[in-house]
Amino acid sequence: MGSQGGFGQSKEFLDLIKSIGESRSKAEEDRIVLREVETLKLRLNDPNTPKYKLKEYIIRLLYVEMLGHDASFGYIHAVKMTHDENLLLKRSGYLAVTLFLNEDHDLIILIVNTIQKDLKSDNYLVVCAALNAVCRLINEETIPAVLPQVVELLGHQKEAVRKKAVMALHRFSQKAPGSVSHLISNFRKKLCDNDPGVMGAALCPLFDLITADVDKYKDLVVSFVNILKQVAERRLPKTYDYHQMPAPFIQIKLLKILSLLGIGDKKASEQMYTIVGDIMRKCDSTSNIGNAILYESICCVSSLHPNPKLLEAAADAIAKFLKSDSHNLKYLGIDALTRLIKINPEIAEQHQLAVIDCLEDPDDTLKRKTFDLLYKMTKSSNVEVIVDRMIEYMISINDSHYKTEIASRCVELGEQFAPSNQWFIQTMNKVFEHAGDLVNAKVAHNLMKLIAEGFGEDDDTADSQLRSSAVESYLRIMGEPKLPSAFLQVICWVLGEYGIADDKYSSSYIIGKLCDVAEAHPDDDTVKAYAVTGIMKIYSFEIASGKPVDLLPECQSLIEEMLASHSTDLQQRAYELQSIFTLDAQAVKKIMPVDSTCDDIESDKNLSFLDGYVQQAIENGAQPYIPESERFGISSISDFKSHEEHETSAHALRFEAYELPKPSLPHNIPPVLASSTELVPVEPSYVADILHPTSAPSASDAGSSELKLRLDGVQKKWGRPTYSSPAPSSSSIDQVKVQNETPRPDSASSSKPKIPDTSYISRKQQIEISPEKQKLAASLFGGSAKSEGRHLPSQKNSKTQNHTSDTSRSSKAPAPDTAVKTSQPPPDLLDMGEPSIASSTPSVDPFKQFEGLFDFTQETTPVSTGGVDGATKDSDFTSLFADMSLSAQTHIDPNPEPNGLRGSKVEPSAHQLNKGPNLKEALEKDALVRHVGVTPSGQNPILFKDLLG
Amino acid sequence: MIRGVIVMNDQGNPRLIKFYEFQPPEKQQELVRSIYRILCSRAENVSNFVKADSLLGPNVRLVYKTFSTLYFVFIFDKSENELAMMDLMQVFVETLNKCFREVCELHVVFNFYKIHMILDEIILGGQVLETSSEEVANAVDAISRLEKNANSMIPSFSGWHR
Repeated sequence: MGSQGGFGQSKEFLDLIKSIGESRSKAEEDRIVLREVETLKLRLNDPNTPKYKLKEYIIRLLYVEMLGHDASFGYIHAVKMTHDENLLLKRSGYLAVTLFLNEDHDLIILIVNTIQKDLKSDNYLVVCAALNAVCRLINEETIPAVLPQVVELLGHQKEAVRKKAVMALHRFSQKAPGSVSHLISNFRKKLCDNDPGVMGAALCPLFDLITADVDKYKDLVVSFVNILKQVAERRLPKTYDYHQMPAPFIQIKLLKILSLLGIGDKKASEQMYTIVGDIMRKCDSTSNIGNAILYESICCVSSLHPNPKLLEAAADAIAKFLKSDSHNLKYLGIDALTRLIKINPEIAEQHQLAVIDCLEDPDDTLKRKTFDLLYKMTKSSNVEVIVDRMIEYMISINDSHYKTEIASRCVELGEQFAPSNQWFIQTMNKVFEHAGDLVNAKVAHNLMKLIAEGFGEDDDTADSQLRSSAVESYLRIMGEPKLPSAFLQVICWVLGEYGIADDKYSSSYIIGKLCDVAEAHPDDDTVKAYAVTGIMKIYSFEIASGKPVDLLPECQSLIEEMLASHSTDLQQRAYELQSIFTLDAQAVKKIMPVDSTCDDIESDKNLSFLDGYVQQAIENGAQPYIPESERFGISSISDFKSHEEHETSAHALRFEAYELPKPSLPHNIPPVLASSTELVPVEPSYVADILHPTSAPSASDAGSSELKLRLDGVQKKWGRPTYSSPAPSSSSIDQVKVQNETPRPDSASSSKPKIPDTSYISRKQQIEISPEKQKLAASLFGGSAKSEGRHLPSQKNSKTQNHTSDTSRSSKAPAPDTAVKTSQPPPDLLDMGEPSIASSTPSVDPFKQFEGLFDFTQETTPVSTGGVDGATKDSDFTSLFADMSLSAQTHIDPNPEPNGLRGSKVEPSAHQLNKGPNLKEALEKDALVRHVGVTPSGQNPILFKDLLG
Repeated sequence: MIRGVIVMNDQGNPRLIKFYEFQPPEKQQELVRSIYRILCSRAENVSNFVKADSLLGPNVRLVYKTFSTLYFVFIFDKSENELAMMDLMQVFVETLNKCFREVCELHVVFNFYKIHMILDEIILGGQVLETSSEEVANAVDAISRLEKNANSMIPSFSGWHR
């Protein structure tokens, strides 16, 4: 037990843990813990329990709660312990209450007094314990009770107490900014505390405050820069060093603060350039914490006003990260890249292969980060590849949270950059099919709208092609089980609207399909509503075109079922469908005009068509209508009005309070609306049922505008929120509006889907990669898929360079990959029978060694080892090349190395070595090469002669 | 800020749960379970970071690391730096090592109180308080000493100092 730091535990506790550890099932564990709970209950409630035992019991109670059992009976004992004079008991009590209670717990009130007293204690440990509790247990109401003491402690002689007091004050400002707003100057003062730890603590609240309001703290830029400078120049006591870095956590916090202060502020940024540059230079990139600072510097650079030099340094650092073997660093590299491409979009191209490697990495975190990057760099030239990738990934995961996110991103990118509507529809189909219930319902309506609107130009043939392809794809898909509801709604709507538009399918076929859908989803009223409306449309079109129609038997039964439905909405629709058959062709044509969804619907807000009727009524002695606003006025000046009028106005007032916002004119809307409201979600809520489905936009509009006139709370409270929110009523007008502001790029941009920027092409040609990735990279980053230019001479140069003068760490990576490449793609190299290959494929192992070395350098830090590494590695490579030379003469290197590339550019291919080239993979790659049509040129043997001389 | 620290063993049994914003016990259990599930599904030699926005809201991430049979997990939001959190974890573990020599799971189980004490010296109210394991160990020693003195005022009991 000695190794447990003298904190002996009683035998009971030991036994408890032992038996829990040995329990074989959760049930058994639960039994043991429940027994323990009973024991503790007895002991804690026993007034005769000796004090010194209390601590252990309370710790055991904490343990019980940690295992997920109810320990609330003991909370009061923990509170009691905080009152104790004994330090150990008091501290245990404080620990327990901070873990047990939340800040709004009823028992807190019993502790506040103790905390107040303890904050004044002479014993700094008591004060510290109380401050710990303050950070966790004090809420907005109790802050004033302890605030004076905490402020006083800011000047305590012990720096540990000052530090904690700053933190406590920070907590207050987080919980209730208002309560400490007058004390903010204290944080500024604490920046000058002579203990760096306290200064560091003050940075935390300042960071939060600056995040909330940058402008108030611009004057501190100079101070922060100075502090950072002093820290970076190692002016702090040695004790603040961590792994040879001076006060890294303070540096990181300062860099975060500086980046906040520098956003969009050229002047402030200029003050920071020097120090940030210095830090980036000084960073020890072999240690974890050094990289943390480096990463933070990159983040800082990316938010400052752009400075070319710093950006270049940042790009170099990113290259280093991406090149690293550590997934953590790659992750940070990708993240940093995401930040930097906002300023300099071209930087991503330098790292395209690294990015693709990360995308294919088995590490999910890294993959998602990379998707974030892709999402940020999507443009119309690469949207297809990126969205395809995203969907592919979306299908492969189960995490519904991330699925939702990625699905909505796909939709967003699709809407923004879709190269063609056809593609958009197909993509949306895929998204809906796999994540339909997760995406926003609006997306479904956008999709319907797109199909209805077509290309937005007067290109009818293209539009109808689009529609019939949509219809066809839906007919194909709809048989599949378990389609999401939103998707089925789209399908039903499209089939209803365009199912028989091109005469390819008979009406009975489509209607049969729609009936099937309704039948297959007996519990989904929304889908059923869509289906029955679809059926209604098809029948209407048939009737309107004068064809004889028969009600299909399955349709008949569907109608009957719906007439008896609990949903009034479904009933309504069924009745409407029934009544269609009783009308003549002309009437039906008016109700359900063919392809009219895009037509603007003029809604007569003034209801002028009723003028005659109103006139007549007035002539017959009816009271004229008094607008509500005036009615209100009447009541206030009602003194000279007749008693009767007074009563009506009083009545009117009450009436308004409850009933005003209800759209009261629903039945007057021209029937044409019926076909367009289907665009709107059918809300299965009662509101939707109560309101007539076609309840007019005019009504709700009128209601809301009316309301704006008077803002005296009550009415608003009662009326507005209920009635302005339901979606159905906003219907047609919104629809028309949105239709006009087409969210997708129109054909102007979509007609030139893939004209790569010339700059990309040139870069593309320089970089050598395996064809598979090359292709992906090309499509992602906009380069041409097959690079034609092979620059042999340059390749020669860089290779010799790698081979001979390879001592620096930065060029380690390129060297092995030349080897990998030679063993990869060319067909003749892959002749399995050739023994020399077999000997060259083990090249994996040297890489493994190499990776080990790499790790080694990371761990052991000193720069001097670099040379040694280089040497060992060199020998590895020479042996590799020696291997190679046997077969190399006949081989071709399909991947020329670019001329005079910096390490950062060569780097991407280095990642291939992670995967380890094996024959099978190489074969596959070869197959792909052939498939893609990139055939290696036959000149490379010369290269090897040169190289190996 | 740092949202919480969890230590659990490789079977998913929690060994230390500390949240800097109150989480009801049920939620804590649920978090431990779902984090354990996530950690188990992760291959070796991948990054130590996991996005946890499905658990605790947007921008919340966690860093984890295994030390022998224990998973150490730090949960934090975007105002912290991932790598720095790794180092903070390192500080924590180093301090444990200093206090217990060759720290192992049993130490953590049996010294619940002390582990919390150590952690309280490193993180306060979700902010990094101290990053030197030496300083932390000294502070913890000082506290333990004082507590012992206070304790000795209580009538001695044979089972107390084992």
